[in-house]
Amino acid sequence: MSNILERMQKDLYAGKVAEVEAATRQALDQGLGAQEILNKGLIGGMEVVGRDFKAGDLFIPEVLMCAKAMHSGLEVLRPLLAEAGAASMGKIVIGTVAGDLHDIGKNLVSMMLQGAGFEIIDLGADVKPERFVQAVRDESPDMIGMSAMLTTTMPSMKSTITALKEAGIRDKVKVIIGGAPVTSKFAQDIGADSYAPDAGAAVDTVRTLLA
Amino acid sequence: MTSKTLKPYLKYLSDVQIEEIHEGSLRLLENTGVMVDHQEGLKFLEKHGAKVDHQTKRVRIPRQLVSQALATVPDRFTLAARNPEKDCPLVPGGRPYSRNGGGADFTIDLETGEFRPLLQADVKEYYRLMDALDGISFIAPVFGQDMPVLGRDILMLREAFGNTDKNIHLRAFTGESLKLMFEMAALVAGSKKELKARPIVSLLEAPISPLKFLDVIVDALWLCGEYGIPLDVCVMPIAGGTGPMTMAGNVQLFNTEFLAGVVISQLAHPGAPLQYAARPMAMDMRTGFSLAGSVELGIMATAGAQMAHFYHVPVSLHGPWSDSMTHDGQSVLERMYMNLMAALAGANVLVGAGMMQQSLVISHEQLVIDDEINRIAFRVVEGFEVDEERLAAEVIDRVGPGGNFVADMHTYKFLRSERYETDLLYRNSRVAWEEGGATTLLDRAKDKARTILKEHQPNPLPEDLSKELDKFVSKALKSLEK
Repeated sequence: MSNILERMQKDLYAGKVAEVEAATRQALDQGLGAQEILNKGLIGGMEVVGRDFKAGDLFIPEVLMCAKAMHSGLEVLRPLLAEAGAASMGKIVIGTVAGDLHDIGKNLVSMMLQGAGFEIIDLGADVKPERFVQAVRDESPDMIGMSAMLTTTMPSMKSTITALKEAGIRDKVKVIIGGAPVTSKFAQDIGADSYAPDAGAAVDTVRTLLA
Repeated sequence: MTSKTLKPYLKYLSDVQIEEIHEGSLRLLENTGVMVDHQEGLKFLEKHGAKVDHQTKRVRIPRQLVSQALATVPDRFTLAARNPEKDCPLVPGGRPYSRNGGGADFTIDLETGEFRPLLQADVKEYYRLMDALDGISFIAPVFGQDMPVLGRDILMLREAFGNTDKNIHLRAFTGESLKLMFEMAALVAGSKKELKARPIVSLLEAPISPLKFLDVIVDALWLCGEYGIPLDVCVMPIAGGTGPMTMAGNVQLFNTEFLAGVVISQLAHPGAPLQYAARPMAMDMRTGFSLAGSVELGIMATAGAQMAHFYHVPVSLHGPWSDSMTHDGQSVLERMYMNLMAALAGANVLVGAGMMQQSLVISHEQLVIDDEINRIAFRVVEGFEVDEERLAAEVIDRVGPGGNFVADMHTYKFLRSERYETDLLYRNSRVAWEEGGATTLLDRAKDKARTILKEHQPNPLPEDLSKELDKFVSKALKSLEK
């Protein structure tokens, strides 16, 4: 790998936002292709970050800073990447379900998914089934993600899936759920495609489902 | 002359640091303010001189409103019980009380050890068990996942009234159901006036950190004021998530949130009983989970207790808390330091008994173990009496070098008053232990729970009152459906 890409990976790992942006420009000046810089420098760098996060050596705020650095380089490359979709790994509509106002878990998952290169449409908290359905119609996402903190609001996850079915668009999207009281059995029972116990696992699960 | 030993207070903040945090909160309330998602609340605060932006629902609170509110907040009150012998008077420098953690979703089955959803059938059992344990002074809600969502809080209270005569700590899902529960409590107390004089229920509500007051907490602050029900203003930013990463920053934030709660309460109902429930959390930076057993929680909460003492309000802290999935060594060690720190910080209430796994799970045997951990904490802060007779110079002289005290009258006299005696911790010989089945702490806790569940009969409600309550509940549930 060229020196500049190696340095880019190191700066990315250290969460140096301005440096990664500068290195991306420099790499372009040196004649490297946008796709090569993306794959080997930025995505390659994030793979190292992901590996060390899973090993417990990196913490969530560090991963988010690395992702910010990755995005600073990606913004430079975006206009140069051949197809518009090349930089996005998938589009996900996400929200905390109706009646539930706890959003820190959902926000964390959003940030981690964004960091991993997914496009996120965040509907916020207290999202009623109709709004999820509308968002699927308007945004044509690959997936919707629902979060709940309370057992009293968990039934709203099922109502949302029912609403998607009734609207005839359930098969257009994958559905993933999470939140403190949610279990994998509950996900199966209500007909969600998957469940993740934490933000890190959510990224892996989404990658697998959208591969 | 008899004198008691000093109360062994744990402190982190100096007086100057306490003043700095107070001043910091006043500035944050004036400049940053809080969000109040309650139309009436916004109008009310504006009328009292707060600067209100109705568009963003941001309320900036001038410092004189904070001083005015702090001047009327009471320094003591009693969590009354249906049985007055079980009252919990929360007074400055008084003994601590305790309650279980509220709102678990799962349980570990006492007989099969299976991790499973908590069901309505479990709820009665849990109330009955807690009713029998002296180290659980009052009782927080336990809900069954199979109970109807609408009115689940009201059904919880109905079950609690039938199975315990201790103070019942409510959790309300809406302002509407809260009012219905207070009316239920008034029915049991005799009247609204008698409920106010002896509030047999209490409540917890929490702003959402950072700095966000939803409609339900404003409703709760005002309804509690109207009915004279003690309220835990539960401030619980998650350090590094919904609060700053630094311990000082988290204390700064939760103190600010508490003061905003005091203002909303006291301006409407001067003298309404509030408790400073300093329950800081910490985000695990590897998983994003909110931790229950991280030692910094105890450190931050201790600083919170110091702020509560500075404001002269009773304080409630997390006591026996743990992140452990099971009844293991991690569970016991986390609970022990959390609870001792809280008791030594001068908490009036130690919260959390029975809960496991970041408060998602409640367990019978855990309640029995935590009952013991609580009673040990009560003993630790109780200290001991010092006087001529107890200093025992005369006895030491009488026994002299090389003698012993076993058969002395002095020993006989103080035998039963000086020691905390346990029926759960093993203290006999190995031979006796092996002959007795080589039980562990957990085995003995399970046995004790089983015995209580088999034998303990709670003090029932009078039959006519019980019927009246049932009628009230079915009417209340219908009114919620509309």
